[in-house]
Amino acid sequence: MESLRKFHPQTLRLIALALVLVLTVVFFTSQIDNYFSPRMLNRITSSVAVILPIAIGQAIVVMTRNIDLSVGSLVGIVAYVMGGFIGQHQGINPAVFVVLCMLLGAFCGAINGVLVSYGRVPSIIVTLGTLALFRTYLVEYSEARTITTDSLPKWLVDLPSASVVEFGGFDIRVIVGLAVLAALVAWLALTRLRAARQFYAVGSNPDAAVFASINEARVVLIAFMISGAMAGLAGFIFLAKFGNITVVAGLGFELKSVAAVVVGGVNIFGGSGSIVGVVLGTVLVDVIDNSLIRWAVVSEFWREALLGLLIMLAVTADTLMTRSFGRLRGSQN
Amino acid sequence: MLKRTIVKLGLASALATTLFAGAASAEGVNMVLLPKFLGILPFDQANRGAEEAHKELGNTGTLQYIGPTPENSVAGQIEMLTTATTQKQAVVMLSNNAGDQIAAAAEAAQAAGTKVVTWDSPIPSGKGESVFVAQVDFGSIGVVMSDMALSLAGGAGEVAVLSATPDAANQNAWIEAMKKTLAEDAKYKDVKLVDVVYGDDQSEKSYNAALALVDKYPNLKVIMAPTTVGIAAAAKAMQDEKLCDKVKVSGLGLPAEMVSYTLNGCAPEFALWSFVDLGYLTYQVSYALATGAIKGDIGDKVKAGRMGEFTIEADPGRAGSKRVLMGPFTVYNKDNVEAASK
Repeated sequence: MESLRKFHPQTLRLIALALVLVLTVVFFTSQIDNYFSPRMLNRITSSVAVILPIAIGQAIVVMTRNIDLSVGSLVGIVAYVMGGFIGQHQGINPAVFVVLCMLLGAFCGAINGVLVSYGRVPSIIVTLGTLALFRTYLVEYSEARTITTDSLPKWLVDLPSASVVEFGGFDIRVIVGLAVLAALVAWLALTRLRAARQFYAVGSNPDAAVFASINEARVVLIAFMISGAMAGLAGFIFLAKFGNITVVAGLGFELKSVAAVVVGGVNIFGGSGSIVGVVLGTVLVDVIDNSLIRWAVVSEFWREALLGLLIMLAVTADTLMTRSFGRLRGSQN
Repeated sequence: MLKRTIVKLGLASALATTLFAGAASAEGVNMVLLPKFLGILPFDQANRGAEEAHKELGNTGTLQYIGPTPENSVAGQIEMLTTATTQKQAVVMLSNNAGDQIAAAAEAAQAAGTKVVTWDSPIPSGKGESVFVAQVDFGSIGVVMSDMALSLAGGAGEVAVLSATPDAANQNAWIEAMKKTLAEDAKYKDVKLVDVVYGDDQSEKSYNAALALVDKYPNLKVIMAPTTVGIAAAAKAMQDEKLCDKVKVSGLGLPAEMVSYTLNGCAPEFALWSFVDLGYLTYQVSYALATGAIKGDIGDKVKAGRMGEFTIEADPGRAGSKRVLMGPFTVYNKDNVEAASK
């Protein structure tokens, strides 16, 4: 136990979370045939790929003491509008297309950001409003047409099955690579870049941040734009993965992303959290979700309830373990 | 009184439609078409059919197409039905997404003189509902799905169902009908229904649920999805995981959404009815009810323009409720799907 002293409480928290994840996997391995396999890893990674970018954006917003409830509608708007766009412009360069998706997301995110930063309206109100507004806009804009797989270029439809590398039945899909790349960039920025540390500063103590001549409003605006851009990336992955896009695309993603962020140990009152935690949190929520649909013991009606319960258990276990690690550290000082 | 006489005359006479329309135009009938939610193709097609009937009958009243946004479907439907009642609308045509929770609002509407005609998805208990315009006989859906499963499985093998939500009344009735068909007819004796799972009509959940089925049942041959969202998501999942040679997807789907999967062999065969016709017929039945041309009793006959004559009958699936049966299906495959998807 002596060795635990060397770790920062944040690191201990991550270790606790990783332990819960391992325990969850061990539990389901004992319950479900052929569970621990490369195939299951493929299933989970490609399922995580859709939600991970959103969770990263959400985490950055939460770090600044705000919340973005509009992300689900944003995913829908980007998947639908850009799906229609690429149907008309088949020849567009894939990289340019991804950037355009993120720009559209960032633009919508900026609407949230301006209202929160300069309008001084609480973010929960603003984004609850835009959650409905963006969805209603989509319903009106769509005129009940579906973006169909048929209208999309072949590279986009085939993207979910394309791999970066393959080894022994396990392959890292391109869409997974995209999500991991986004996580990597966010992680590097938040741990290495001075400018990115301003998100923590604004969240942990807004007054002190102002004294340190940090432009709080601008930092919050940027956080919402990043959240929008990440939802845009998720919208792109959503479009590639599902092909047929209707106005219900991305419905309910806001709750999933908040769950992943909270389970991942980002403090809901701002100021702390790490991308590694967010990745672990997202993976844990998804593992639970994807395992429950394979577990014969629970009926359909209980799955949602059980998922909620397991998330609560995970968070409680994580908090308790962090606390006792913390005490351990304290007692040995 | 005059109006009623003319209506009676109209029913008796061979010139029914013209006389009848002439009478009605003096006093328009205000009608509301209320889908589960706005923004998806099937409901828009139903509205197109209703508008066609609206013009044809020369109704000088209004036809409103209103509906909740997708995330607010249940509460929104109840609220809109209540609002329509206070506005003294003559009829609300409802594709119910709120189960029996909407029954109280529907009964209040009837008491205030607003008729409630359901289509696509009925009120399960039938409370507050004048009549249900059924797209197809729910029992015949069981036969069509069993037949498609049989042919796609090559005569024998495991089949699983991917449905919408566990409490969707129409979906559950169709799955029951399929189970019954499989159990009763000897020609399906080698087709084994192994599981029923749910994707909540969301692409992401349906996609994951389809992959879970494939993992759970290594010998699975067919995924049968009686929902347009589920069938498309399952087909894409099989395509993405390169499983289309092993597992075929079928069920109820929209040609425009399914055309690429039908042509590439992931979903070689699926079925659906015309939502345009369903909207047209619903309007005709509702208009006849609102004008008093029919009372809405069992045995009443409705002249539904280009679709011919329909009779109100007891709903075999819901004791004490009444229905008008449209039918039939169209089964789509590589020969006709492209033309239908335009």
